[in-house]
Amino acid sequence: MPAMVSSMSQQPTQQAFNPYTENGGTILAIAGADFSVIAGDTRQSEGYSIQTRYAPKVFKLTDKAVLAVNGFAADGNMFVKKVRQRLEWYRHAHAKDMPIRAIARLIQTMLYARRFFPYYVYNILGGIEEDGTGAVYSFDPVGSYEREACRAAGAAQALVQPFLDNQIYFKNQTPAPGSSFPKHLPLTSVLPLVIDSFTSATERHIEVGDGLEIYVVLAKNSTALQSLQSLRGAQEVTTTADGERVFVIRRDLKKD
Amino acid sequence: MAADTTAARSIVKMKVDEDKIKTLSPHLLMAYSGEPGDTVQFAEYVERNIRLYQIRNLYALRPSAAASWIRRSLAESLRSRRPYSVNLLLGGYDTATHDPHLYWIDYLGTISEVPFAAHGYGSYFALSLLDRGPLEEGLATLKRCIDEVSKRLVVSPGNYKIKVVDKDGVREVEL
Amino acid sequence: MNSFVERYSTTSATGQLRRAQRLADEEDEFSDAAWGSSAGFGNIVKGSPSFMVPNTPDPTSFLRLHTDDHADPSCRIKIQHGTTTLAFRFQGGVIVAVDSRATAGSYIASGTVKKVIEINPYLLGTMAGGAADCQYWETYLGMHCRLHELRNRERISVSAASKYLSNLVYSYKGMGLSMGTMVCGWDKTGPAVFYVDSDGTRLKGDIFSVGSGSTFAYGVLDQGYRWDLTDEEAQELGRRSIYAAGHRDAYSGNTCNLYHVKEDGWKFIGNYDLAQLHNQGYGYEHRVEGRSSANPPEVVATA
Repeated sequence: MPAMVSSMSQQPTQQAFNPYTENGGTILAIAGADFSVIAGDTRQSEGYSIQTRYAPKVFKLTDKAVLAVNGFAADGNMFVKKVRQRLEWYRHAHAKDMPIRAIARLIQTMLYARRFFPYYVYNILGGIEEDGTGAVYSFDPVGSYEREACRAAGAAQALVQPFLDNQIYFKNQTPAPGSSFPKHLPLTSVLPLVIDSFTSATERHIEVGDGLEIYVVLAKNSTALQSLQSLRGAQEVTTTADGERVFVIRRDLKKD
Repeated sequence: MAADTTAARSIVKMKVDEDKIKTLSPHLLMAYSGEPGDTVQFAEYVERNIRLYQIRNLYALRPSAAASWIRRSLAESLRSRRPYSVNLLLGGYDTATHDPHLYWIDYLGTISEVPFAAHGYGSYFALSLLDRGPLEEGLATLKRCIDEVSKRLVVSPGNYKIKVVDKDGVREVEL
Repeated sequence: MNSFVERYSTTSATGQLRRAQRLADEEDEFSDAAWGSSAGFGNIVKGSPSFMVPNTPDPTSFLRLHTDDHADPSCRIKIQHGTTTLAFRFQGGVIVAVDSRATAGSYIASGTVKKVIEINPYLLGTMAGGAADCQYWETYLGMHCRLHELRNRERISVSAASKYLSNLVYSYKGMGLSMGTMVCGWDKTGPAVFYVDSDGTRLKGDIFSVGSGSTFAYGVLDQGYRWDLTDEEAQELGRRSIYAAGHRDAYSGNTCNLYHVKEDGWKFIGNYDLAQLHNQGYGYEHRVEGRSSANPPEVVATA
């Protein structure tokens, strides 16, 4: 087939195909004993230009799972859309929400399906496990994942993660004689840590700022409920009456 | 026929007792080298096809026919999207005409029937020796080649596996 | 015309992918019921994985352009690298020891990575190279090992499992997969270790170490190795080798995960902080404490 050979050799010279950009921002998630906190700033930028001051990066998937997506915004939004579609199909087939460890595996296979044309996104999945414990799963762009207690990703990852290592895992700290560090922190200590992480990241990173969106997922009968209800501007976004409850807290960050 | 037994990855010897000479049929040997992965995959492909021929026809392919088939497989692979990068030495004893054959085959599908042959860095030392060496004493000459490679080649492999094919079939020998 | 040729030709990258998919597809036809629903198992809904490929003349170079941080450190998608993993066979089974560090460039992306993948209760795989490649394909291998059990009413041999993996990754050769793994287990033949990598290499052996710190691990491992090591000695050797690699290789470190495979399957021995191992006696300073190579004349008591 001579036509085939010539059409291959007469290929027009093409610029490198670059369908990716980096839209800044930072996300983080922390797992507690019976709750999970997933947060992200709302600035979206490209280079030195701010595209919008409110572009959510944290999305509620079900009443017990929240997904934070960072990296290339277009890929991220598309990915969340597809995950939600798969979860809806699952609901129709099984008349229940997919458990979070299954969502984590689903996200792995969905990311890996694009192994040769990756989604440029870093995902952090937070929520409540079937046994009622708080969970955080973090992913790389092609789907390797691990369950952790806390994780920061995105532009200010290198600023925030060491702070969390120190305050959550008590890295490089020694307990006072006769005492020990708690295994899990209460929500009342975690929320200030999250807010401080973002105000500090806003101070030192140009791609972080504008607004902060914090999702809190509570297990059934979580003791953290009272502290949340007394909190300024905590808004409940739970969809079903029984079981886990989801709240969102919004705060302003510096806009310069 | 001789081949070293080292499987290396970057600067690390991963294995020192890897057999790189396949026995394709009772009177046919094939030594292989080249791209990791390709070598074993291609050698097993050849091994199974030659065996299949033997099962179907109740007699083995003669060395010249086997060499032609293997060469053609490589030549076809070369024209595919991802060719096998494998160099081969094929040695056999033709039980019909009672004479030995040696074929030098490279990944491009070049074939030549030769009295002696070598692939790899060792060939730069061994071929000149073989050119002047006494071919009546095969194993002694082979030993001199291996000794020379060990003496002069910077990254010389430690161990060799040596196999002989003649009218009695295939056997492994120690030097 | 070009997209037409690309779509139907057998010599293109997508052609290779299709063949690789067919290879995995051949023997197994999963029904939707196998996963409960089509929402069950990501891209392997139909049993074999399918991959999306960019619509460019050479998808492989597209991937390299955006993910190869060796060629271009500023590339966007950083795939985690840097590792030390080892496994060895001895009288008492197989020891598998790995570090837990994941790096992206010079940033330590994680210090708690699980680099031993528990394929099933008697097969372990290790992770070096692309974290996702290893996790995904070894999980996939686990599915097929279970199918083998159901079909043949016996456990798959380590040799067969490793060959399945090796053939699988070989069918994707040149497309950018990166994995160097050891498949370890115990079958009818006793303890077994196979090295499998994304080149398609598959080697049977007694001692293997893979990753940027492997040379340092080999140094300790080869010198301390004997076939008749006791269980405790063998575990200590694995741990000590990973410590050595973590100490000398900047891309390895944090903690050591230790596993021991015996006849009745694998057992997790423990997680050891390398910094603690250093301070509790592995470190040079602790080994030479109170010793001296100076050779002063003996003090003669004068009285």
